[in-house]
Amino acid sequence: MEDPLHSFELHTIIPLSLFGIDISVNKAVVLMWIIVGVGSVFLLKAGAAKSLVPSKLQSLAELLVDFIRGIIQDTMGPAGMRYFPFISSLFVFILFSNLLGLIPGSYTVTSQIVVTGVFAIAVYGLSLVIGFQLHGAKFLGILVPPGTPGWLLPLMIPIELISQLARPISLAVRLFANMTAGHVILGVLFGLTIGGGLLIGWLPFSFTIVLYGLEVGIAFIQAYIFVVLTCVYIGDAIHLH
Amino acid sequence: MASSQDPLFTGLGRAMRVGTDLLASLIVGGFLGWLVDSYVFDSTPWGVSIGLVLGLVAGIRNAYRAAKRWGT
Repeated sequence: MEDPLHSFELHTIIPLSLFGIDISVNKAVVLMWIIVGVGSVFLLKAGAAKSLVPSKLQSLAELLVDFIRGIIQDTMGPAGMRYFPFISSLFVFILFSNLLGLIPGSYTVTSQIVVTGVFAIAVYGLSLVIGFQLHGAKFLGILVPPGTPGWLLPLMIPIELISQLARPISLAVRLFANMTAGHVILGVLFGLTIGGGLLIGWLPFSFTIVLYGLEVGIAFIQAYIFVVLTCVYIGDAIHLH
Repeated sequence: MASSQDPLFTGLGRAMRVGTDLLASLIVGGFLGWLVDSYVFDSTPWGVSIGLVLGLVAGIRNAYRAAKRWGT
């Protein structure tokens, strides 16, 4: 049977290097270009019409914008609308990379922990920058929960520090693990289908159909969770306690 | 696409969140303890042990705090 992790390997298509840094183009890079292209074309085309009675494309885009606005209003309040462009680009990119990765023969960019890790660190770094910009040195008070008695401080500060540092890691690992696990399961079931032949192969094949539907749902939910947590972290930085 | 207040969506989101948060705090706690062990003090078993306990406490505390927020 074929190795189910085989589909995650990346092979260089165009070897490139800049000042000694390897910036070769591989399948994941091409897929990211495609995601940016598809997302931009979709939103630019949907936003160009601006008709009062929306077309199908336009109402899809309006649903998307309304959905993201709902998340921001729920988690950050009206003050968070400043970050709408950032949050919506993040959502569209992650959603499209999850969904395009489900097309057979393409590649799931978010199944590489480099990609999700860079996103998570960027999001967490942004929340730190916003926090220090708004509150100055008082932002360090995020390490001290309100109502902590003084003698507990030596214990609470390490605990809070750990839970702060865990934020980018849990963001990155959640998206990466969910996408990778789903694709590995699909790969194993397809391997069983081919190995089983006609006699028994229909059984794992019917599972792949069900799981494929589940994976589409997970693609949405993972994009949603990533964006909700981004909003929560930035919201924590805006409203200190 | 569902609205962002959809109970299925928010429920699944919360469920996904707590599990990884627990794990991530444990990993960070253990890693910080290991760093202290190997680079700051030469205290091999103690840094990792204390770090793991603190990570566990942080993870459970985060889960508890998150759960308390949903009730309102």
